[in-house]
Amino acid sequence: MASVNMSVDFGGVKMKNPINTASGTFGQGWQFSELMDVSALGAITTKGCAAEPWPGNPAPRMTEVRGGMMNSVGLQNPGVEAFARDYGPWLFDLTDKGTQVICQVAGHSTEEYVRALEMFDELCPWAAGFEINVSCPNIAAGGIACGSTPEGAADVMRACRKVTDRPLFIKMAPVRIPEIARALEAEGADGLTVINSIPGMAIDVHTRRSKLSKPTGGLSGPLCHPIAVRMVWEAANAVDIPVCGVGGVMTGEDAAEMILAGACCVSVGMASFVEPDASVRILHELEQWAESQGVKDINELIGAFEC
Amino acid sequence: MPNPSPARMHDFEVVANEEIAEGIFSLVISAPKLACALRPGQFVNLRVPGDSSELLRVPLSYVSADPNAGTVEIWYAVRGNATGRMSEWKSGFKSDLLGPGGHGWLVPEGARRVLLVGGGIGVPPVLCLASELSRRGIAFDACLGAATASKLVGVEDFEALDGGFVRVCTDDGTAGDCGFCTGPAAAALSEASYDYVATCGPSAMMERVAKAAGEAGVYCEASLERMMSCGFGACSTCNVETTDGMKGACMCGPVFDASKVVVF
Repeated sequence: MASVNMSVDFGGVKMKNPINTASGTFGQGWQFSELMDVSALGAITTKGCAAEPWPGNPAPRMTEVRGGMMNSVGLQNPGVEAFARDYGPWLFDLTDKGTQVICQVAGHSTEEYVRALEMFDELCPWAAGFEINVSCPNIAAGGIACGSTPEGAADVMRACRKVTDRPLFIKMAPVRIPEIARALEAEGADGLTVINSIPGMAIDVHTRRSKLSKPTGGLSGPLCHPIAVRMVWEAANAVDIPVCGVGGVMTGEDAAEMILAGACCVSVGMASFVEPDASVRILHELEQWAESQGVKDINELIGAFEC
Repeated sequence: MPNPSPARMHDFEVVANEEIAEGIFSLVISAPKLACALRPGQFVNLRVPGDSSELLRVPLSYVSADPNAGTVEIWYAVRGNATGRMSEWKSGFKSDLLGPGGHGWLVPEGARRVLLVGGGIGVPPVLCLASELSRRGIAFDACLGAATASKLVGVEDFEALDGGFVRVCTDDGTAGDCGFCTGPAAAALSEASYDYVATCGPSAMMERVAKAAGEAGVYCEASLERMMSCGFGACSTCNVETTDGMKGACMCGPVFDASKVVVF
């Protein structure tokens, strides 16, 4: 038992500790059920899901780059109905064990986000909250096209706010953080997830072709970490609603940086691919760090960065 | 809930690691529980330490597992930085892996004669199946290909299993027939009666073998290669386009019903 209180309140989602999982890196959780104790985590965020099934992009969808990876999955998903039917019972069970489940919502337009959220709200009563993905860099419409301006992001948030009273979070694109964060707060967002993968390119110079099936992909992994920490700090300074820090968290110290920059909770992403139980290790390392700081409550360390 | 991957974390120690053909190495590792769990056609996902800028694991097929000795043999081609570092591994080197991944070859019940077609570094999983067929007393013929004689692997191993004919092709004619092994494979399918075809190798080779098997009305499976981030169904990056939609190679493969594969 940690001597430091690790529980945090992420915009109404009461987490027993600040460790969450980045959507798209943790499936729907069950994939890890034989490889780690998923119920040790404060929350998991499930892979983005739309009202109707999406096939995603052609192969290749992933290429490794120095210090990280790039993906172009394109939000392949089975649709909310199949999601709730096939994964709901396991996720409900997980919530019973004290781990909160945040479901990510995907769409190509405001109308599609609303439709998917309506279905989630009806079919997933066990979900603690929903994360609207207005920042996927790998889809032709929606995603980052909606979330890279204050107006676009606010439009989606405004429409989604009318659908549910449960906590709503926005997965933010890595652009114009302060102004978009303020626009989302004004429209009733309960929290912000900062950041989604960063648009990048990788070219095979021998074939002159993209290393992915699309010209661009989403960059993630430890090489993004300093950028993510900076954007978490910008978001936390811009708004009063809590921030979930995401981006290249591989160790407890990486998570601690996010907390100090102003994150209320921290999502583990690529690390879970390399080391399936990385999130649990990171949680333990974060606890040890909090203890080393001589505090009684991890909340004392949120935003405690000094310059 | 779908079934999670059978993959578990295993520590391993290198027993031997030697070059068996140009740029192709045989790695023998000690991993007793894994050696008992592996089935032909499954894969393992190795952690290759030594460069903190390269984090993802390396997914590889295996060629044999010895449950009594607790060892697993893997043949790999040096293709990039990670496999380059692997080629430096000495006996006693320790790391970990996730495995077994996916499902392996599903030889139809009652199959009596099988055609195996392997090209390049696609030979190991096919040889692995050949050993299994030999144990089960199922006859098989093999068509093996490589770019050139110095990169050819597995021929003696196939011949030692005494299954049936072993036909060898190289692109440059330095060993066996000159050309691709798809030619002899298609000929074999038109001349003899097979119950099952298993193939692994370059995409174009597998596609042609699948087409020939389809024309001959023989069930064919292909073991596909994809870039993988996790190897246990979480990341959606190792997708294979099939007539049933996008499928992950790590969970629904790496062995697929070839007639359903749209892009090999």
